[in-house]
Amino acid sequence: MNSYLIFLLAGLAIGSIYALSGVGLVMLYRATGVLNLAYGAIGAAAALISWQLDQWGGFTPLCWLAGIAVAGLISLGYGLLISPRLEHREPVIKAMATLGVLLILLGLLYSLWPANPRRLNLPSDAIAFNMMGVRLTLTRLLAFITTLLLTAAITLFLARTRIGLLMRALASHRQLSAIVGIRVIRIEVLAWSISGVMAGISGILLGALVRLDAGALTFLVIPALAAAIIGGLQSLALTLAAGLLIGVVESLCTLLPTLSSYRSATPFILAVLAIFWLQRNNRLLFASHQ
Amino acid sequence: MTHTLQNSAVTHPADPRQALKWLAFGALALLLVLVPEGLSAYWLRVATTAAIYTLAAASLSLLYARLGLVSLAQVALVGVGGWVSLRVAHSGHWPFELSLLAGGIVAGLAGMLVGLPALRLRGLYLALITLMAAAGFNVLITAVQFPNGGEGLRGFNPAGGTLMVRPWLGQSDIGMFRYCVIVAGMGFLLIEWHRRSRPGRAWALIRKGEACAMAAGINVSLYKSWAFCLAGFLAGIAGALLAASLGTLDARSFPASESIMLAALSIVGGAYSFLGAIITGVLYRVFPAFLDNLGMAGDLSYVIFGIALLHTLIIAPQGIAGQLLTQWQHWRARR
Amino acid sequence: MIELDNLSVWFGGVQALKSISVTIDAPLVGIIGPNGAGKTTLLNVLSGFVTPRTGTLRAFGSDLGVLAPHLRARWGLRRSFQRELVVEDLSVLDNIRAMLDALPGSRTEKRRQLDDVLDFTGLIDQANTLGARLNGFERRRVELAKTLAGQPRIVLLDEPGGGLSGDEMAELQRIVLGIGPRFSATTLMIDHDVELIASTCVNTLVLDFGTLIAYGPTAQVLQAPRVKAAYLGDEELQ
Repeated sequence: MNSYLIFLLAGLAIGSIYALSGVGLVMLYRATGVLNLAYGAIGAAAALISWQLDQWGGFTPLCWLAGIAVAGLISLGYGLLISPRLEHREPVIKAMATLGVLLILLGLLYSLWPANPRRLNLPSDAIAFNMMGVRLTLTRLLAFITTLLLTAAITLFLARTRIGLLMRALASHRQLSAIVGIRVIRIEVLAWSISGVMAGISGILLGALVRLDAGALTFLVIPALAAAIIGGLQSLALTLAAGLLIGVVESLCTLLPTLSSYRSATPFILAVLAIFWLQRNNRLLFASHQ
Repeated sequence: MTHTLQNSAVTHPADPRQALKWLAFGALALLLVLVPEGLSAYWLRVATTAAIYTLAAASLSLLYARLGLVSLAQVALVGVGGWVSLRVAHSGHWPFELSLLAGGIVAGLAGMLVGLPALRLRGLYLALITLMAAAGFNVLITAVQFPNGGEGLRGFNPAGGTLMVRPWLGQSDIGMFRYCVIVAGMGFLLIEWHRRSRPGRAWALIRKGEACAMAAGINVSLYKSWAFCLAGFLAGIAGALLAASLGTLDARSFPASESIMLAALSIVGGAYSFLGAIITGVLYRVFPAFLDNLGMAGDLSYVIFGIALLHTLIIAPQGIAGQLLTQWQHWRARR
Repeated sequence: MIELDNLSVWFGGVQALKSISVTIDAPLVGIIGPNGAGKTTLLNVLSGFVTPRTGTLRAFGSDLGVLAPHLRARWGLRRSFQRELVVEDLSVLDNIRAMLDALPGSRTEKRRQLDDVLDFTGLIDQANTLGARLNGFERRRVELAKTLAGQPRIVLLDEPGGGLSGDEMAELQRIVLGIGPRFSATTLMIDHDVELIASTCVNTLVLDFGTLIAYGPTAQVLQAPRVKAAYLGDEELQ
């Protein structure tokens, strides 16, 4: 019983970061039409920069802030400088462009921090609770709580605030919104910055919980993408639930010896099932975009 | 009454892309004859791999240029083809061509299966599904490993194994290079044959709009699946060639990032022509080897290619091959 | 003969077509109505691109409702689009050939059908021109040719007269009037140009807010008070 609980809680912790990343992805997609595949890479940059500053003897919380700030800046930079130039292209092309950013970041990060065992230690790792007979670190709890809070905050923000409403309007009709007088750039600045900051937070948490490696962190965008897909690239609540589900299933597979080596294929399998479900009624006809 | 047209075959307006095609085939011929003799053993191997990945790039471009679809799983499908061909080759004394075809066919089916969920959804979903499939393949192949003559279904012997037998016509390194170039050329011909006949027309209408295609009686799902199948088949063939040329394959060579790289480079090289596919093969294999020789880190090529991808998407969507074509047209016009 | 029985279409909470029932047995029928009346929706239902919530569609004895759009096209139910969907990279020949690909028949037979339709729509000289190089009216011709290739049985035209000059309109009239005699097909044509409808269509069907408000001989229908009332305020009827 104990082992189930251990893996369940571990799964919830990492699943909550998948969920957080997924929510960040969906929020950005809804506001800008761009599915940022470089999300994980941006998080990796935040994690590695934080680590490096910490190694150089900086004040730890400031190091994290610096890392998160860099992530926000990279995301914002892309959103202001490059994304507008692809405004009229199909969503696939916009996503392909973010792959370009992924490659650039991956190359830079790997050359600056070659593959080496590295640990990102958060002080919350040292504090632990006893929950139902299982030791749970504060880090894991924080990951879970942060995700819930941020997701709730963003959902409320989109639904209740004026800027949130504008963001949703923008997602549907960028050109029309601009004509009507909505300050498109201001909203996009907000969307890209928030998304970048969330990527940074996710990256640091993943760096602590999983592994501080550029490649590994970059491709942890995949479970986040799976969560986003299950949410239909639309619903934040579904994305949240999906992220948690993926984390838990992945973690529990460790208990089954036959499935254990394949557990990182969980996102793929769940996403495929979700896609089949999504297209059950679909007649892709007269979609005004294609 | 009605006056009929003179020609009975499918007529193609004399379009400048025809000339580019002949240029590409001419380059292929050159490759076959002159190039191998002058290369060192190391560069010959690089060139062989480049030729193989030219075929993989062509498979990717097929989906992108004909249907506007991005597949981020083509290198994974190369891996599938490699695995199947190795398994078949190590199971008995078959001619290489059998392993080759087996690899192609299974990879074709795999490609079709991967595309199946996203068949009626937007292209973005296909890109995502293929990305996840590539990551999933990495997980799978790391657990299963490539066959090397060992026992059982996996055919993997951790202590080491035997090399795959090369084709009868490609025993030597030079012979293998020529064999790969010829097979790649045949792959190109297969694509071109599709493009000029019914599938090509169907794909063109689907690209215009699924409604347009359906109104013309085209079964959209069927033709999309067929494109996935063909692209997978060609990637699988490339995988078999790779396995034979290297003798064995390493599971570590198939992370998802490689499929992303190939997709990026196919766009950079030029997705709309065979010359583009050749340029992609060169960029993918020759350029990093070149950097390596100069003592520069391989990671640098990631950065350069990332920048190149952004540049291509924003400024020059036809890629390097497209730029060359435009230059050539200007030059012709001035004469 | 085309039989529509109790066709209803809902888009979310909006009913776009309300229990349309009509039997069409004239060779060339016009479909008119104010904007938003449901004319294009009706065409979409007939061609299979929109699924009706209720009702059946039968033509020449067959229930077409069970066929997917591409199968209806193969059966012979063809449609054109308001915005011509001509593939830029293909020649006129290949654009039309794509329709013939889906149909049974020998190569010589298809060859003959291709020549026939090119001649009929005045495209023989443009046969090898790429779609990208065609002008607006030529694209319109190709759109029409695609619907007529092979053996069309029902031809649905969605505003073929939009934006045409006087000469082009005359040419369109020639083509539309010739479909019945040359191909033995029934044509249903949506258009806003009442003169075009009046000069070509035997019968006319009028829709308003998703309801069929009149069907009958064109001259009669155009004079009906209910039809005039539907257009009240619309300058096009002047």
